[in-house]
Amino acid sequence: MNDVSSSTPVDPETTPEALVERFGRDLINDFDLDDPNFNERFDETLNFMVRKCPVVHSKVGRGYYLINTQDDVRAAAQNWQTFSSAKGYMPNRPDGLPYLMPEESDPPMHTRWRRVLNPHLSPKVCAGLDHPVRNDVNALIDTFIDRGECEFITEFGALLPGWAFFKNVLGVPVDDLAMLVNGVEEGTFAADLDERARHFAEVFGYLEKHLKWRTTQPPRGDLIDTILAGVTYDDGTEAPWEHKVSILVDLTFGGIATTTFVMGSAIHHLATHPEQRQLLIDDPSLIENAVEEYARFFPPVVALGRTATKDVEVSGTKIAEGEFVMLAYACASRDPRHMEEPEKIDVRRQGIPHSTFGVGPHRCIGSNLARVELRATLEEWLKRIPDFRLKEGTKPTYITGYLRSMRTLQLEW
Amino acid sequence: MKVHIDEIKCTGHGRCAKYAPNVFTLNDEDGYNADRGKTIDVPADEEANARLGVKSCPERAITIID
Repeated sequence: MNDVSSSTPVDPETTPEALVERFGRDLINDFDLDDPNFNERFDETLNFMVRKCPVVHSKVGRGYYLINTQDDVRAAAQNWQTFSSAKGYMPNRPDGLPYLMPEESDPPMHTRWRRVLNPHLSPKVCAGLDHPVRNDVNALIDTFIDRGECEFITEFGALLPGWAFFKNVLGVPVDDLAMLVNGVEEGTFAADLDERARHFAEVFGYLEKHLKWRTTQPPRGDLIDTILAGVTYDDGTEAPWEHKVSILVDLTFGGIATTTFVMGSAIHHLATHPEQRQLLIDDPSLIENAVEEYARFFPPVVALGRTATKDVEVSGTKIAEGEFVMLAYACASRDPRHMEEPEKIDVRRQGIPHSTFGVGPHRCIGSNLARVELRATLEEWLKRIPDFRLKEGTKPTYITGYLRSMRTLQLEW
Repeated sequence: MKVHIDEIKCTGHGRCAKYAPNVFTLNDEDGYNADRGKTIDVPADEEANARLGVKSCPERAITIID
């Protein structure tokens, strides 16, 4: 028998030189979520990484790994014992930022909270919110439909998720939404890490004040009352006040910014693909599936982090105990090992195994509400503004880090 | 055909019930599969839907037992 060489053949596409030439840096050994090139060439980078680079490493700050294939992301997300959330989900987390419960905790502490919080955002409860959300979709469209144009993000996309969540779930006044949206956005994307911490502190301060005020009010039996009632941890201690505040912060982070991106991206796609738009107008029953495909293809959460609790190997890469590991949900949702032509948007795609809402015990608690918002938006928008396009001479602008956000989207009709 | 729903892996994405509502039921309270930890029968005329439900589960929490 011939001796087969044990060395892996070199892939000309993944040599450091080829990567620098194509992506401006050695993606495999020197990745950076905040690199403007990643923002500019988001789709190309995701498609490339999921096919060619199962694990990449970043030297930024304290450094982090990125896991990119669907099987590896799922395995790590489900294995919370080895990939712990207790040290946070943000790469190079600002010092002094309190951990956000329940997202930045592991079972059984995490389980205690999810058990009491889940019922407030169950499919059944969220289905009941379809009507008020739809009313808000139409109220927002009313504000600009006669003008024949709008800036979708500030006039619709950044407002609807906040309205849906604040009015129907949290009972927080919508007047201060702009401040909170800005706080979350800058806290996530500000180039300066200290600035991120300052913006987060502002959001914490506001929500803590609101929570404190609710302790002086008669109970409403809502999500906030559930947070205030608290939980008992397995060691017999009661959840402290700081944990309760952080839950409100965590839910607000998740509830107001992420859905905006899927919404804006879906509307942008429909504005620039008239045949797809016509497909959904002719058969609105496709919209529910389209929501799933848009969520797959336009992931607002690019990657969330874990901390390795022991030495571990992922697709041949050794990761040492204590290292920070990002689960790239955005890549996992485009894994060609699990779907045909993942780089194409196909609203008829059936059985879409995407990870936009995360995987494992930390599955996005607001996924059911997000789906209601997205479906109501597409259905009502296409009824009222069936023919629309990108404003001439403009294109949408984006910012990307471990989250991805659309900043502007100019439309006309 | 039978399917088994893993008690731990199911985290309430709800996709199974979307594709095969006559096979998979969600718990009203928390939205997780109501048959977590159980093996259930799939009627012959629901097999195609059930397979889509299984495929769409981001957790691979449902196993088909032929």
